[in-house]
Amino acid sequence: MTEYLIRRLLQSLLVLFLITVVTFALIHAAPGGPMQIFLAPGLSQEAAKIQAHNMGLDQPLPIQYLRWLGGLLRGDLGYTFKNHLPVGEILWPTVWNTMVLMGTAWFLSLLVAIPWGIYNSTREYGFSDQLASILSYLGFAMPTFWFGIILQEFFALKLNLLPLSDMWTMGREGEIGDLILHLILPVTVLTLGFLAAYVKYSRSSMLEVLQQDYIRTARAKGLRERRVIFRHALRNALIPIITIIGLDLPYLVAGAALTESVFNWPGMGRLFVDMAVAREYSVLMAITLITAVIVIIGNLLADILYVLVDPRVQLGRKGGQSA
Amino acid sequence: MKQTYLVEARRVKKYFPIKTGLLNRVVGHVKAVDDISFGIRSGETFGLVGESGCGKSTLGRVLLQLQKATDGDILFAGQNIRELDSRDIRRLRQEMQIIFQDPYGSLNPRFLVRDIIGEPLRVHLRASAKEVEERVVELMELVGLDASRRNRYPHEFSGGQRQRIGIARAIALHPRFIVADEAVSALDVSVQSQVLNLLMKLQKELGLTYLFIAHGLNVVRHISDRVGVMYLGKMVEVAPTEELFAHPLHPYTAALLSAIPRPTPHRKQQRIVLQGDVPSPANPPAGCRFHPRCPLAQERCRREEPLLQAVSGERQVACHFPLE
Repeated sequence: MTEYLIRRLLQSLLVLFLITVVTFALIHAAPGGPMQIFLAPGLSQEAAKIQAHNMGLDQPLPIQYLRWLGGLLRGDLGYTFKNHLPVGEILWPTVWNTMVLMGTAWFLSLLVAIPWGIYNSTREYGFSDQLASILSYLGFAMPTFWFGIILQEFFALKLNLLPLSDMWTMGREGEIGDLILHLILPVTVLTLGFLAAYVKYSRSSMLEVLQQDYIRTARAKGLRERRVIFRHALRNALIPIITIIGLDLPYLVAGAALTESVFNWPGMGRLFVDMAVAREYSVLMAITLITAVIVIIGNLLADILYVLVDPRVQLGRKGGQSA
Repeated sequence: MKQTYLVEARRVKKYFPIKTGLLNRVVGHVKAVDDISFGIRSGETFGLVGESGCGKSTLGRVLLQLQKATDGDILFAGQNIRELDSRDIRRLRQEMQIIFQDPYGSLNPRFLVRDIIGEPLRVHLRASAKEVEERVVELMELVGLDASRRNRYPHEFSGGQRQRIGIARAIALHPRFIVADEAVSALDVSVQSQVLNLLMKLQKELGLTYLFIAHGLNVVRHISDRVGVMYLGKMVEVAPTEELFAHPLHPYTAALLSAIPRPTPHRKQQRIVLQGDVPSPANPPAGCRFHPRCPLAQERCRREEPLLQAVSGERQVACHFPLE
């Protein structure tokens, strides 16, 4: 297990390195650049050159990359072009804001989806199951920005019940009640999206397990149906659900760019969109890096949880056990 | 002849609806078990044979109320168990148990062997942890397993050992009746005989009654006192084992027996090879269900369905023209 973890960590570092190289190249390959944005009209060629030199943009790309990498290794994420602010100062608050938003939506959707999926699996094609299906289709099919705008139009503008956007009302920063009011609409949008997937996953995972022979064995033992479902079936059905949850973990931090933009939520998703428009390379690199780290952690976590929940899985062994 | 049976089926039917289309209309029924009556005496082993899909397993599960019968009565120790509610059926599981075919799929991979075997004790007898532990050790030793491995998961055991786990689980509550549903079919031949011998040993020691479902005729001959032959949801012949093997009455039984390979190459045996496939149980042939494939079919077989009738002594056959 330890050996496996060490190997995985080394692999992860390599993956991270490659991701930064590719991202760096891609960002610089995009047309336009900071120079075009910051050049004041009428600035002379000479002045522009000095400007580019000061920003380090006159260097060849590999050198620029190595400089960035060197800074990273010293814990320096770089500065923005525009105001010369340290990237961390801009970034960390948005990470926290995103986690508040996404964490709430994610937790709520799991809280509803898993029990609901289990219930539906025991009453396949019943009313509740059909309702979940319809809701899932809606959740998958509706563009989040569209759904968000509809909610704003109705609950904020027409009924004036909830705040239109942002995270706090001006002057009420830090009040938990104010935060909750601001959370309701974006959380609704995001929860529906998560719920659509999770309710379907947990239902189908349960249905698959309920058809297994060992469930018939459990019934033959004369167990109550409740015990069959929760003791015998659920333990097995949770295995694939855990994988999906682990793989979705990056959403918690990376945020939902569209929803955050619609609701003007000061999170990392919106920051990414804004910074992409402003060509703030160092911020984009930092966000990509954080997202990549979380993806890797999420995968690793899913693999470790796998071992904990499924005795047949052993990490670091080639080929699975005969199941 | 009036007989007392431990388990008795009276005109039992099990139909599975076939649903199609948008509205799940029922367009027909698969008649897996169609009007079967027979009984199993206390302490005997009743072998049930027939081709795949003839309804043997369904009959076994219906007898145990693991699947609800569509019609008919099932008597256990004189009590009609089709009328019981779910709580009484759960209680009845102490008396009647099943050993499943697939030793890989039928054990929950997330449960320790200790819990697989011990769970019935905990649930039905509310035994304490210590009592359960003792009984699990006792049961594992009884079925020839190393009891020190009780804190392992099923995947750490071989096929034969897993089947022994299934047996230990089935006998944990001292049942009287056990359905062995193809209990050895999934095992290697050498392991098959070990498990068969174990089943026979347990029968002697615990006074068990078996319904032994199989398609390997040699296995059935080895273990059964009486044998029932099924074809397409019907019982076509019931007889004491040796009489059946020595002298089959139903043409289908004769065809089945002729298919057993025999280690006597010099004696050229006549093999009766049946023509055609088994008809669909959703739409069985009129008259005798076997008539399209029967080498001896006559006009009457096409029109009139033969009933299972006593012929001589303990023998019953459903055929208009039984073999001499």
